[in-house]
Amino acid sequence: MSYSTFNRKKFDSLQQPMFFGENVNVARYDQQKYPIFEKLIEKQLSFFWRPEEVDLSNDRKDFVKLEEHEQHIFLSNLKYQTLLDSVQGRSPNVALLPIVSLPELETWIETWSFSETIHSRSYTHIIRNIVNDPTKVFDDIIVNDEIAKRAVSVSKYYDDLIELVSLYNTMGLGVHHVPEHGDITVSMKALKKALYLTVASVNVLEAIRFYVSFACSFAFAERTLMEGNAKIIKLIARDEALHLNGTQHMLNLMTSGRDDPEMAVIAQECKQDVIDIFVEAAQQEKEWAQYLFKDGSMIGLNAQILGQYVEYITNVRMQTVGLEPYFSTKNNPIPWINAWLVSDNVQVAPQEAEISSYLVGQIDNDLDGADFDDFDL
Amino acid sequence: MVPTLTTSTSSQGHKEEAEVHRVLLGKKQILVTEDEPLLPQLERAGVLVEYQCREGYCSSCMIKLLWGKVSYPVEPLAWVHSGYLLTCCAIVKSDIEIALLG
Ligand code: FES
Ligand SMILES: [Fe+2]
Ligand SMILES: [Fe+2]
Repeated sequence: MSYSTFNRKKFDSLQQPMFFGENVNVARYDQQKYPIFEKLIEKQLSFFWRPEEVDLSNDRKDFVKLEEHEQHIFLSNLKYQTLLDSVQGRSPNVALLPIVSLPELETWIETWSFSETIHSRSYTHIIRNIVNDPTKVFDDIIVNDEIAKRAVSVSKYYDDLIELVSLYNTMGLGVHHVPEHGDITVSMKALKKALYLTVASVNVLEAIRFYVSFACSFAFAERTLMEGNAKIIKLIARDEALHLNGTQHMLNLMTSGRDDPEMAVIAQECKQDVIDIFVEAAQQEKEWAQYLFKDGSMIGLNAQILGQYVEYITNVRMQTVGLEPYFSTKNNPIPWINAWLVSDNVQVAPQEAEISSYLVGQIDNDLDGADFDDFDL
Repeated sequence: MVPTLTTSTSSQGHKEEAEVHRVLLGKKQILVTEDEPLLPQLERAGVLVEYQCREGYCSSCMIKLLWGKVSYPVEPLAWVHSGYLLTCCAIVKSDIEIALLG
C-alpha cells in the first residue's frame, strides 16, 4: 500500500486508529477522535514566539567574562540542544506523517515539529550573538564524540521506523532484501513495534535529555549571567513540556488498547525496552554532566547534583507513562529550577523586538556597561 | 462548578458548610479549602511538590491519590491516570489521602 497525499477512499475517520489506518484525506476538525490533539495545537500556537524578540546584548558581555570551563559548559549544552532540535525539527514529520490516520493528530505532528524549528533558529540567534565565529561552534557538532554518541541514540528508532515504512509503502508486507541491510521482514507487527518504540524514545528525548542543559542555563541566570539565554530556554522548556504531553497521550492511548488492540499487546511486550530506553537516556545524561564539568564545576551545580536530578526527573517521567520509578532518588536536589521552568511570567516584552538586532561583530567589548543602560528594560 | 464558601473562623458553627478538607500525607495532616488547587496549599504547608507548568499540561505535579475525591474545574490537558491527581489544578472535594511519587 503506497502513500497517497489525498486518499480518494470514503471512510469514517472516527473509526481509524492513530496510525497505520487510512491515509488522511480531508484536513477536517469538525469531528475528532481525540480532541486532545487539537487542544495541543491551540496551546502550541498560543505559545508562539520568535527568537529575535529576545535581546542578547548583555549575554555577549557576560559570555566574554565567563571562565573558560564555564564557556565550555555553555557552548557544549547549546551544541547538544542543537542536535536534539535538528532531529526533532524534521523527524516527527518524516517518520509519522506517512502513517498517521487522524487529521487532528496529523496537524499536531506538523505543529509540534514546526515549533522545534523555532528552537533550532533560537540556537543560531544565541550563538551568533555571543561568539565571533559561529561556524566553529556548529561545525563541532558533527565531529564531537560526546554529541555523536547521543545522536545515535536519539535517531536510531526514528530511522528504523522510516526504513520499515518506506519498504512497506513501496514493496508491501513480506521479506525484502535491502542491499547492505540484508533481509528485512515487514509485517504489521514489526511496523507497529517500530512505531511504539519510536514514540517511546521521543517521549524520553523530550522528557529527560534537555534537562541537564536547562539546569545549567538557569544556574547561570541565578547568578544574573546569560539572562537572555535563560529567557529563550524558558520558552523552549514551555514548548517541550507540551510536546511531552503529546507523546504521553500517544503512548497511553496505545498502551490502553483503546486505539488499536494489537498496540496494547505490543506495548506489553515492549515494556522492558521502554524502561531500557529511559535508563539509557538517564545514563547518557549523567555522563553528559561529567563531560560538561570535566574542567571545573559552576556555582550551585556539579556532576553529582545533576546526576541526582537526572535520576529524579527520570522517575517522575516514567510514572507519567505508567512505569514504576527506576532510581532510588526521591527528592529533587535542585528545587529552585522549577521557578525557572514554570510557564507563567514567560513574557517577551514587545519593545524588545525593536532593540534586538544582530549585534554580531558590532559590540565593542570595551564598551562600558553604562552605554547600554538605556536599553535595559 | 460548586460554589466555594469562605472558611473564616465565623463559619465554624456551620461545619457542614465550611469546605475544609483534611489531606493526609504520610504522618502529616494538612487542612485545605476548595478555594484554590491543592498545589499552592501544599506549598504553604511546607510540602515540596514537583511542578512545572502549573496549568495542567505537563504532568510534573502528578501525585498518588490513595482515596478521596478531587475535581478539575477545567479538564486538564495532561493525561490523568486513575489513582493519581494533578496538584496544580485539582480541587480537593473531600478528605483525601495522597502520596508523593517515589
Ligand atoms: S504543574 Fe504541569 S500539570 Fe501540574
Ligand atoms: Fe525542541
Ligand atoms: Fe520538542
